[in-house]
Amino acid sequence: MSLLGVLNIAGSGMGAESQRLSAVASNIANANTSVGPGGEPYRAREVVFQAVAADGGGDDAASTGMAGVKVAAIVESDAPLKQVYDPGSSFADQNGYVKMPNVNNVDEMVNMLSAQQDYQADLEAFNVAKTLALRTLQI
Amino acid sequence: MIGTLDSSLEFYRQVLAVRGYRQEVLAADIANASTPGFKAVDVDFAQALENATGGAGTSGTDRPRTWLVEEPGQMQAGNTGGDASAAAAGAVKYQMGTQASLDGNSVDLDLEKTTAASNAVDYEAVASFTTLTLKMLSTAINGSAGQQGGS
Repeated sequence: MSLLGVLNIAGSGMGAESQRLSAVASNIANANTSVGPGGEPYRAREVVFQAVAADGGGDDAASTGMAGVKVAAIVESDAPLKQVYDPGSSFADQNGYVKMPNVNNVDEMVNMLSAQQDYQADLEAFNVAKTLALRTLQI
Repeated sequence: MIGTLDSSLEFYRQVLAVRGYRQEVLAADIANASTPGFKAVDVDFAQALENATGGAGTSGTDRPRTWLVEEPGQMQAGNTGGDASAAAAGAVKYQMGTQASLDGNSVDLDLEKTTAASNAVDYEAVASFTTLTLKMLSTAINGSAGQQGGS
């Protein structure tokens, strides 16, 4: 039944958007993490969305119109790291510069708003489908 | 007689299936509002219904309104046991005229939301018609409620 398919598709959208929101939260939280686990500064993460066939078959999902969404990969931004002049830091190089994460707070805020808007749209689609399915039961 | 009962409800079944399928397509657009390269699609409702009902279901000017036809044969052509969703799948088209963003995504979220809302209202309307048709048939079979109570 197609209305229950809406629930799956909107659910996949909400899952993907919340992962995007997680990435934003991680980036903002680590905006000043100059030393990560590998000794290197934190690099901003970005999620990559990909359309997948909602019924699990067929590669060209868009042509049939039935496409959920999934997070295909989480990539690290290759933007240059920020350099902060802080000769007193123990992490400073020989010129006195400390490498800081390449997190751009403006980008992150815009990304967060966009994720919020998309999540709300998914939720709306979910609720409408639920209402319609319940209405159908009353025929 | 059973043919009449069947044909009066069959059309609503097809319409509900096409409307439900369209709701799914619109949900897929909304879910992929941020997917790079995703092209927005929509169901051509007139064509989908025409496919589903075998060419007798659109609101063209010279076509009979199928839910009022007296010949049940018009409802039967090409739609016996047919799956309306499969017919609607043939009428899925790319949306034209929406501005694609830099990543190649052409989903206009506001447009999708309003279209989905309007489609939902249409779905509820058809569901109401179906309920009323069933009540009408029930009245035809049982007589009016007042007479039933009096007997």
